[in-house]
Amino acid sequence: MVKVYRSTVLNAPADRVWRDLRDFNGLANWHPLILSSRIENSHPADKVGCVRYLQLKDGARVREKLLSLSDYEYTCTCAILESPLDLSDYIATLRLLPVTEGNRCFIEWSAEFDCPPEKVAELADTVGGGLFQAGLDALKQRYGQT
Amino acid sequence: MKISVIQSAVIDAPIERVWAVLRDFSSQESWHPAVLRSRMENDAAGDVVGGVRQLSLTDGAEQREQLLSHNDCEYTFTYCIIDSPLPLFDYMATVRLKPVTDGNQTFWDWRTQFRAPDERAAKLKSMVQEQICEAGFAGLRTYLAGKTARPLPPGPETETAAAAAVGSKQIPSRAVVVAATGGPEVLSLSHVAVSAPGPRQVRIRQTAIAVNYLDLKHRRGISEGFELPGTPGLEGVGEIIDAGEQVNGLFPGDRVAYLSRTPGAYAEIRCIDADACIPLPDGVSDNDASSLLKGLLAALLLGRVFRAAAGATILIQAVSGGVGHLLCQWAKSMDLTVMGTVSTRQKAKFSRDRGCDYPIVAPDDIPPAAEVMRITNGRGVDYWVHSSGAHGLDSALASLAVGGHCAVIGDRDGQSITLDVNLLKRHSLTVSAPVCFDYFADRSYLQRAAHQLFAKIQRRMVIPVIQTFPLSQAAEAHQQIESRQNLGAVVLTPGG
Repeated sequence: MVKVYRSTVLNAPADRVWRDLRDFNGLANWHPLILSSRIENSHPADKVGCVRYLQLKDGARVREKLLSLSDYEYTCTCAILESPLDLSDYIATLRLLPVTEGNRCFIEWSAEFDCPPEKVAELADTVGGGLFQAGLDALKQRYGQT
Repeated sequence: MKISVIQSAVIDAPIERVWAVLRDFSSQESWHPAVLRSRMENDAAGDVVGGVRQLSLTDGAEQREQLLSHNDCEYTFTYCIIDSPLPLFDYMATVRLKPVTDGNQTFWDWRTQFRAPDERAAKLKSMVQEQICEAGFAGLRTYLAGKTARPLPPGPETETAAAAAVGSKQIPSRAVVVAATGGPEVLSLSHVAVSAPGPRQVRIRQTAIAVNYLDLKHRRGISEGFELPGTPGLEGVGEIIDAGEQVNGLFPGDRVAYLSRTPGAYAEIRCIDADACIPLPDGVSDNDASSLLKGLLAALLLGRVFRAAAGATILIQAVSGGVGHLLCQWAKSMDLTVMGTVSTRQKAKFSRDRGCDYPIVAPDDIPPAAEVMRITNGRGVDYWVHSSGAHGLDSALASLAVGGHCAVIGDRDGQSITLDVNLLKRHSLTVSAPVCFDYFADRSYLQRAAHQLFAKIQRRMVIPVIQTFPLSQAAEAHQQIESRQNLGAVVLTPGG
């Protein structure tokens, strides 16, 4: 099992950031690597079990299923159903925690997955250093530097 | 009314750094501005789940809190209040740290839940928010800032050399080197350069180096484990200059004591395995901590080798020596009756001042059997700590009470000791020959025992007495022990 973890601090209250992040269909609005997102079968984006169909700017297509969404704990979990990456059993969690001092928020993005042993380093970098870090960097820009 | 408080902050330090402080449940007195004193009950370590801390607060209040969970993987612990003068009921709090990977900082989440009378709820809530959590965040920041490494103090001759060396790989130092075995005169001071610490090592500037009897045996070539040319010394105290890769929880500026089976301590600066280092709590000075090995031997002898019940009698040979004077004080803190042998009347007075009930002047450390029997009303002693090797062992066994124990901690210069087991059968006696390094290879036991020692020192129940010599007078220090003139421990101080 490979574990990937990235986190940072955003210069906005958790409530404010969560308004943007809770939209499972909204990744393309803020993530620089995502071109478009659609929810399959016309389900609402906050229906647990719904599937989003992502087109990435590099041409890749990824289908992800929403496993949990908590407005109370500012947490969203999803699994990859299909992707061009050579990994399996991928589950990722995005979580916000309020930083009461300064009215900011802490954001962490973590994932666990299986892959062939020789691909561990490459995939951990693609997911953590690529996807996650690019997303966090974009969010930092969006809400202003701390 | 049920009240929930969530406070959180970002600390500008790596999570290992913050957790190294917070994971110790008794550490609050070091960093929390509202806490004057925090001590674990029963000398428990600060990470023992179920352990209770007593807090003396700056407003005069006394409070007791119990550790309910502790998790080093998740960087979290939970505790509750047991006794408090305030109406805080069912009070439970969780501290959780998370790494901020983007910038190597730490997110600190502190959640508290409790019940309080309605009319006081608002006030108590803001008290928890401000005086406990926010003040705690600020206090820890100040504490960490104060612990960043100080610049190297300029030495008299090497001022420019040292200044030039800071940040570079090698640092000039001086070390005592033994080129050929012999008397104290073979200890000579040499200039050396200390390379940067390797993986899992730290480089430390030493302030106190205890001289142990084993060092003398190494110097004389009558004990294994010392290669020529070599630097003697098995333990030291100092401040970390820098840390190598894969070192967790130790940082530049930290004060540490260490114990190592491999000699090399008689030096101003050296590298040492991080695993051998034990961080020193406030309230334990560098000089106090220099008695680590001897104090740990006392902890081992009284806590693990043989457990004597309160009121039992213990006889300590050489009770005014480095190990003896610590054993004596520790035994008194356990309400044992202490007898001890000394070679002079001056040492007898010294020992009496440290709590020894019956100092016995006996030039060769063998107390007259009749004297021992008179003091114990013919019963014999329960526990005999023997350091004179084969010499007097028979009379030691003859002086033990039924079920008594004799711990042999000295072999007097490597002489063989033979034991007739039939002697043990006379009174159901047991004999042990504990070797510190065998027990303290178990790091968790090492930490527990060191914690007990430091707690005794902080409470002044055990006060190490030391006689110091500059590093350049290592020969004189050895001479002092060899001629048996020392009262307490002999310590080299490279800084002074």
